[in-house]
Amino acid sequence: MRDAKRDGVLPSTTMNEPRRDAEVIVVGGGHAGVEAAHAAAAMGRATLLVTGDPERICTLACNPSIGGSAKGQLVREIDALGGAMARIIDRSSLHVRFLNESKGYAVRALRAQADKERYVLEATALLRSLQHLTIACGLVDDLIVESGAVRGVVTSDGRRFYADRVVLATGTFLGGKIFRGEFSQAAGRVGEAPALELSHALRRLGFPTGRLKTGTPPRVATQSVDFEAMRVQEPSPIPLMFSYRNSPAFAGPQLPCHVVSTNNETHALVRDNLHRSPLYGLDLIAGIGPRYCPSIEDKVMKFSHNPSHLVFVEPEGWTTNSLYIGGFSTSLPEDVQRAMVRTLPGFARADLLRPGYAVEYDYVPPTELRASLETRRVAGLYFCGQLNGTSGYEEAAAQGLIAGINAARAARGEAAIVLGRGEAYIGVLIDDLVTRGVDEPYRMLSSRAEHRVVLRHDNADLRLCELGFSIGLLPPEVHEAFEARRALLVDAISRADTIRSAAGSVAERLRRPSVTAADVAADLPVDSEILERVAIEIKLAGYVKRQEVAIARAARDESTEVPEDFAFGQVSALSLEAREKFARFKPRSLGAAARISGISPADVAILSVALHRARARASVAVAAAV
Amino acid sequence: MLELHVHGSPTVARDVLLAVLAAGARLAEPGEFTRRAFLVGKLDLTAAEAVGELIAAEDRSRARGAAARLSGGLAREIDTASAALDAIVEELGAAIDFPDDVPSPERSELAARLAAVDAHLAALGETWEAGRRVREGLSVAIVGPPNAGKSSLLNALLGVERALVSAIAGTTRDTIEESIALGGGASARLIDTAGLRDATEALEAAGILRTRAALAEATLALVVVDGARPLDTAARDVLDATRGRERVVFFNKADLGRAGFDAREHAEAGAISGSAHDAESVARVREALRAAAGADRVDFAQPHLGTVRQGDAVLEARRALARVRDTLDAGEPIDLVAGDVMAARASLHELTGREASESLLDAIFARFCIGK
Repeated sequence: MRDAKRDGVLPSTTMNEPRRDAEVIVVGGGHAGVEAAHAAAAMGRATLLVTGDPERICTLACNPSIGGSAKGQLVREIDALGGAMARIIDRSSLHVRFLNESKGYAVRALRAQADKERYVLEATALLRSLQHLTIACGLVDDLIVESGAVRGVVTSDGRRFYADRVVLATGTFLGGKIFRGEFSQAAGRVGEAPALELSHALRRLGFPTGRLKTGTPPRVATQSVDFEAMRVQEPSPIPLMFSYRNSPAFAGPQLPCHVVSTNNETHALVRDNLHRSPLYGLDLIAGIGPRYCPSIEDKVMKFSHNPSHLVFVEPEGWTTNSLYIGGFSTSLPEDVQRAMVRTLPGFARADLLRPGYAVEYDYVPPTELRASLETRRVAGLYFCGQLNGTSGYEEAAAQGLIAGINAARAARGEAAIVLGRGEAYIGVLIDDLVTRGVDEPYRMLSSRAEHRVVLRHDNADLRLCELGFSIGLLPPEVHEAFEARRALLVDAISRADTIRSAAGSVAERLRRPSVTAADVAADLPVDSEILERVAIEIKLAGYVKRQEVAIARAARDESTEVPEDFAFGQVSALSLEAREKFARFKPRSLGAAARISGISPADVAILSVALHRARARASVAVAAAV
Repeated sequence: MLELHVHGSPTVARDVLLAVLAAGARLAEPGEFTRRAFLVGKLDLTAAEAVGELIAAEDRSRARGAAARLSGGLAREIDTASAALDAIVEELGAAIDFPDDVPSPERSELAARLAAVDAHLAALGETWEAGRRVREGLSVAIVGPPNAGKSSLLNALLGVERALVSAIAGTTRDTIEESIALGGGASARLIDTAGLRDATEALEAAGILRTRAALAEATLALVVVDGARPLDTAARDVLDATRGRERVVFFNKADLGRAGFDAREHAEAGAISGSAHDAESVARVREALRAAAGADRVDFAQPHLGTVRQGDAVLEARRALARVRDTLDAGEPIDLVAGDVMAARASLHELTGREASESLLDAIFARFCIGK
């Protein structure tokens, strides 16, 4: 990493050539921006990361955890492709656990609590190791666009940085405004200035924008609470890693988390102070909040029949005095928050370090994007993260990775990579965004993945390492390690069929649900991680096979592409509703068209015919021209 | 690609379709064949587009008339079943995606709820079979040894000389189909067949093959044997071959004697004795067919399945539920249960034209208070 200089990153150019400061500029140093910058730089492109505060790269602005159901799979996939997030969390986790262990191998997911400060330091260290990356401090106010293509960015202090590929990862900073009780302030996070001008710049370019809302709970001083009154959640006694690269080891001492419940007193305080809520009584917030992460106000009001709600007490670091109060997101005034927190068991004398607040921000409907995450409106401009209407660090990082990869590839004239819905949660995420759009902050959920039996934590490397290597992101030595692991796995699976005991072959025994990997360990002597994977592959084989048939069927429609400029309005056989929906969502393939809500199979059939007709005309035109 | 050419009767075509579906095939989606035909160049563009418009028209009418097509509250019945599955999918989905907030449903309780849905679908499936018999007519294969009087009985039931009759055994070499009304809205399609015996002649052998096929496809076997004489091997073979399936047994030629009828075995206890030339005997056969046709069994005012697509969707859903049962019985984890519950639910949603994926998350968030 080099220091940014006003004069730019690349050697100065001659008079006739346009100035280039980098091949890829990334705006925003959060989880999306860092992943994008890491990918582009690791792929060997001169990359410039412009961020408002280089000291706070990859800040965990809300909860101190990474992973969870479906999100954990995203992190594994990021790692298998060569991304950064898994390695950062593995080096900063203070409590790791498998979720859903009893619910099935496909939905088993890793979640880690992070030391927030360490997380930032590890992210910074990782970026620092990249020789093609430069970091500049600045708030981007405007984009330089010439004849429909992006050429660079302009910062609030008037500096101009030039590149033909720009990745925007602005998080909650775009038009950000925070709310707490009667108090509101333009800000991206508490105490950090928002990006107001950039929001106007996007609208000037013709991008529609909408408002979304999210929130964060209060933080409480660790020494002010009594953990004896709370239920303990212990971390895994053995080290568990997100990254395939890291051999199992604890990043530091492992700490417990705690759980308590709200009660009548808490709920009464919420109800009695609703008139001071910016969401309810004051009616200040227009943005739509996420239903999967409701504020305590929402929980009490919308689920009034629930006598209590769970509250998760999570340490924010090894040395910090701060506790994150999960499930207690609120924008009520600070005095009410303090009183509410003190109704919780063990919190009678709790000190509020920082009150919770709600934040409202601009997003651009992701239907503006291609599956590469490049905007349709401005060539070379890529969007990722909360700007696209998602929420969550993992969702942001996954998009950042894909935007970074595709910006890097485009810089060398290479075609974009697009992951399928049967290939990765990342594929489901991006396909959902660009084909369906969002109407609330989008969170990855296993319920969204129709092929989830194949999208597992254990097999992310089999699904994606080859691709990561072929695009030049996964380093050769990591790829070699993967190939060796795959060879061991394949060999062990075939031996499972031949090694027999009185109870049958190892494979036959493993097919019984009650038989675990440990039960056959004596007969199939391989590394315990490989053995576990053998067991999963064998146990799920029948389900996977059926799923693969479905994926192959879906793939046929995916391969029928819809031209960018296709005139849906001209297809008279389509119903008016279908024509409007196609024109609005601009499906990139027949399969994507079928996934738009309210589209019937007949509409898809008609579109199919119209597409072939258009293609036949085009080839006739080409023949005539020749 | 396999192309099946069958008798041009709706019942045979439908029965073959059902057999193919039961063996694992699926119905083409609307427009699928048009698309394929176009892609391989069998249909030109204008024709394809015209078909597309037709499909669109049908689809619009489907949207408008879901209630009309799914008549008699069938949609409500299906909705009840699919709502029960929706609830299970929601609970499993919430437990998987929000393990901190939502506990997993109890397996035994899940099994009981799924069994209730399956029983409901099984009952609907029966209305389909019964309704089909009444609407399309009961398909009846008339079988028996050569010269037992099958064609005479057919003619008597029809009241016309439809089949060529002669005293020469093996006269009917092809199968002959005719429909008769049985009263009360019921009807039967009678398929006269070549006599079943070891054929000596090539043409007759082919006829016998067709007979066996007709027998396999028919809902009911009308077995005709010569009841005047002691039963010969051919007669005993036919009676053995049709035991255990739905049939009406007629011991013919009572006017010439009853030796065969009197010596009949217990399995043929309910057989009819009479003559194809005697009006009263023929009336008794008609009455037996009428009872089998189910005219009195199905109430069309009640919800019932009316089309092959509806029947297939229910069959498909029940197949997925059977897999769910296996998965649960085997003690597999709930994620694997969820997959097939979703498949069953998707089949039902297909039937009612509802979209499944849209509503799932809405329902989860409406039912469960979730989130850290």
